[in-house]
Amino acid sequence: MKNWLLVYFLLKIVPFLLFRQTNIFVISIFNSYLQPQIAPYMANYNIDAKKEMTYDAIVIGSGISGGWAAKELCEKGLKTLVLERGRIVEHVVDYPTMNLDPWDSELRGGLTPEQKRKHYKAIRSGWIGTDTEHFWADDEANPYTEVKPFLWLRGHQMGGRSLLWGKQTYRWSDLDFEANAKDGHGVDWPIRYKDIEPWYTYVEKFAGISGEPLGLPQLPDSHFLPPMELNCVEKHVKTRIEKDFPGRNMIIGRCAHLTVPHNGRGQCQNRNRCSRGCPFGAYFSSNSVTLPAANATGNLTIRPHSIVQSIVYDDVKGKATGVRIIDAETNEDIVYSAKIIFCNASALGTTQILLNSTSKRFENGLGNDSGELGRNLMDHTYRVGAIGKVEGFDDKYYKGRRPNGIYIPRYWNIDEKTKSDKFLRGFGYQGGGYRGGNPANSEEFGADFKDGILKPGPWEFFITGFAECLPYHENKVTLNTEVLDKWGQPTLSIDAEFKENEKALNKQIQEDAVEMLEKAGLRDVLGFDNEHEMGNGVHEMGTARMGRDPKTSVLNGFNQVHAAKNVFVTDGACMTSSSCVNPSLTYMAITARAAHHAVSELNKLNI
Amino acid sequence: MDRRKALKKTGLLAGAAMVAPSFLSIFQSCKQESRLDWQPMFFDENEAKTIAALVDVILPRTDTPGALDVKVDLFIDKVIAMTYVEEAQQAMRSEIATFNANCKQDFGTFFFDLDETDRVAVLEAAEKSSGKFNPGVWGTTVGEQEPIGFYRSMKSMAIWAYFTSEEIGENVLSYDPVPGTYEGCKPVSEVGNRWSL
Repeated sequence: MKNWLLVYFLLKIVPFLLFRQTNIFVISIFNSYLQPQIAPYMANYNIDAKKEMTYDAIVIGSGISGGWAAKELCEKGLKTLVLERGRIVEHVVDYPTMNLDPWDSELRGGLTPEQKRKHYKAIRSGWIGTDTEHFWADDEANPYTEVKPFLWLRGHQMGGRSLLWGKQTYRWSDLDFEANAKDGHGVDWPIRYKDIEPWYTYVEKFAGISGEPLGLPQLPDSHFLPPMELNCVEKHVKTRIEKDFPGRNMIIGRCAHLTVPHNGRGQCQNRNRCSRGCPFGAYFSSNSVTLPAANATGNLTIRPHSIVQSIVYDDVKGKATGVRIIDAETNEDIVYSAKIIFCNASALGTTQILLNSTSKRFENGLGNDSGELGRNLMDHTYRVGAIGKVEGFDDKYYKGRRPNGIYIPRYWNIDEKTKSDKFLRGFGYQGGGYRGGNPANSEEFGADFKDGILKPGPWEFFITGFAECLPYHENKVTLNTEVLDKWGQPTLSIDAEFKENEKALNKQIQEDAVEMLEKAGLRDVLGFDNEHEMGNGVHEMGTARMGRDPKTSVLNGFNQVHAAKNVFVTDGACMTSSSCVNPSLTYMAITARAAHHAVSELNKLNI
Repeated sequence: MDRRKALKKTGLLAGAAMVAPSFLSIFQSCKQESRLDWQPMFFDENEAKTIAALVDVILPRTDTPGALDVKVDLFIDKVIAMTYVEEAQQAMRSEIATFNANCKQDFGTFFFDLDETDRVAVLEAAEKSSGKFNPGVWGTTVGEQEPIGFYRSMKSMAIWAYFTSEEIGENVLSYDPVPGTYEGCKPVSEVGNRWSL
C-alpha cells in the first residue's frame, strides 16, 4: 500500500468511521479507494480566520469563479481569505452519497415533505433527489421574491454549484463579444476574443476539457483532452443531419470531464454520479481542482458559515477596505480587511451584496453610479426541442453511463447567408441518444410483460435548445427590505422575463428540432416548449455588467468596479451579453485574467 | 459491488430466496384469512391487499422474482407514507377506494378477492382508460401531459420499485456500478438485460 493511502486512511477515513453514520458510506468510500487513479488530495483547509483579521485579498464565494480567484491570488503569493456562506465540503470526504445505489437509500431518491419544503422553489427544476439534496440551498432560510416567475437555483456550500453543474464547456467567440455593438442591444463588451483567448487556454490546460476540434469560427476549439464517444444511434443521427442540413454539425459535448488522467486527477469512470461529488476528481469542481491548488500554496484561509453582509467602502480613502460578515451559526458581526476584494457569490448573490453595500459615496449600492447595478439580467431559454424514437438498432446497446451528450453549435445568424428575419442572435442544442422508453406505457402486464421490460428499451433521441437572451434594462433585481432572510438581511426581488426575441428563437428551436429529427428518420417525433420562466437554464448572467463607459456599466474591461478599482466582479454578474453557449468556461477565463491584472495593479501600487 | 457479493455468498441471498416462497404462500392464504403479515405505514388492510394484488398481476413471479418477492408493495406503502404530502396521500386513498368500488360494481367484490380471470379483465379495461406518460428530458416531462390516472401511475410506481430493488437491480438487470470505460456501440448479446443504473 502506498504511503499516501495509508496516511489518508488514518487521517480521513478513520475519523469518518468513528464520527459519521452508517457502514454503507464508510465501506463505499473505502471501496472507492481501492479503485485506480484516485486523486489523493489531503486538503486540511485552514478555516481559522480568528487570529488574522487582515488579508491581501478577500474572495467572496468558492464556486466556479471564486475557486479560480482563490487559486490565482494564492499562487501569486497573496494571503487570501475565501468567505463561504455555507459549510466546508472537502473533496471525497464530504460526498456521502457518491457510491450509493438506489436501494442503498431508504426512499430510493424520494424526498420527504420536510425536504420538499426546504427546497420548495428548487424542486421545480426536477434536479433534486436524496442523492444531491444536501448540496442545494435552503429556500426557506434564504427567500427571494418572484415578481415574475424566476427560478433561482443556489448551492450554499464550499464549491457552490461547481459540484452540481452540467460541465458543458465552450469558448465564446467574437460573434458573441461583438453582438451588442452590432445590433445595438445592451452596451458593447470592453473585451474581444483576442483578449480572453490566452486565458481560455490557461484555464483549460489546468481544468482539463474533453472534446473534438471542429474549426468553427462561432465555437472556437479549446485545448482538448480526447473526446468522449458517440453511441451508434448518435453517430447515425449525426450523419443524417449533417447530410440533410449543410452548415449544421453534431458533435460530442465538450465538457469538463477528464478522459485521461490529468494533473493528478483520475479519469472519468462513466458512472454519471457527478452531482454527488466524484471520488475520482474526474470533473471540474472547486472542491477537486482549484481550492486544493489554492490550499497547497499555504496562502489560503477559507471561512465557512460566513454570510457577507456588505463590502466596506472608505469614503476618505476612496476605496473598499474590507468585508462585513455575519457568522451564520453565531450571528456574530465581523469585519475583515483586505487590499482587494473579488466578488464571486454568483451573479445574483454578488449583486445582492453590492446593492446592500451602501455608503455616503454609494447611496444606491457599491459601484452603482450608472444605475445599471441589478439591471440586464439574462439566462438561456431552456427545455425547448424535440424527442423521437429511433428504429433499426435493436441489437445495439452501450456500456457505461457517459456524463455527456451531443452538441449542435449555433447555425443561425452567423453570416449573411444564415441571417434570420425573425430573430436576432441564435441558439445551440444539447441532447443525446439512449435506450429508454417508459415501460409503464405498454398496454400489457403480466408474465410476458415483465420479462419484456427486463430487456433494453427502445432507442430514443432528443435535442433541446439553449437560446441567447438579450440584455433588457427592465429585467432586474432589486433589494427587498420587506422580506428578510434568516439573518435579518434584505433579500432580492427578481423581476425578469423572456421577451419577443427569445420567444421567436424558441419557436425556431422547436421547428428546426422537429424537422431535423423527422428528416433523420425518427418516429413519433414530439416537439416541446416547456419552460417559460427564466432561471431554469441556471445560466443567470448580468446585473453588474462590464462596459466601456462608467455611465452605462458597472465594471471596466478588467472586471474592476469603475469607481472602486480594488473591487472585482468576475462571476456571472459581469456578463454584458449572454451568448447561446454555456458560460462557465468564460467565467473561469475572465476570473483568471482579472486576478492576474489585480496582482499586477497591486504591485504597481495602482490599487 | 464486491461487498454485496460477499454478503450474498455468506447466506443473505439464500435467506432472501427462502423468504420469497413463504411470502407468496402467506399472501395466497390472505385471500381466505384476510390478514396481512406486515404492518403498513400508510395503507389500511384492504388498501394494502389491493396494491399487493395489483402489483402481483402486473409483475408476477416467473423464472425471475415477481413484485411481491422484492416487496414492491411494502416499498410503495413506505413511499406514500414518507414522501407524499397529506393532500396527495388523501388523493391516493380515494383513488384506491374508487378502483375497488368499480371492481365491486362490475364483479361483485374488491380487487384482491377477484379470481385471476377477473383481475386480468379489470386491468385490461384499466389499460385502455388510462393516460400515457409523455417522455421526460432531464428530470421533467415534456410536451402537454394528459392525465394519467390511478392505474398507470401505480403501474409506473411498481416498475420503479421493482427495478430499484436490490435483488432486481443487482442480480437480474445488468449491474455495473463503476463501468470505467464507455462503449458506444455494443451488441445487446454482450450485455444481456437492461442496465440497472
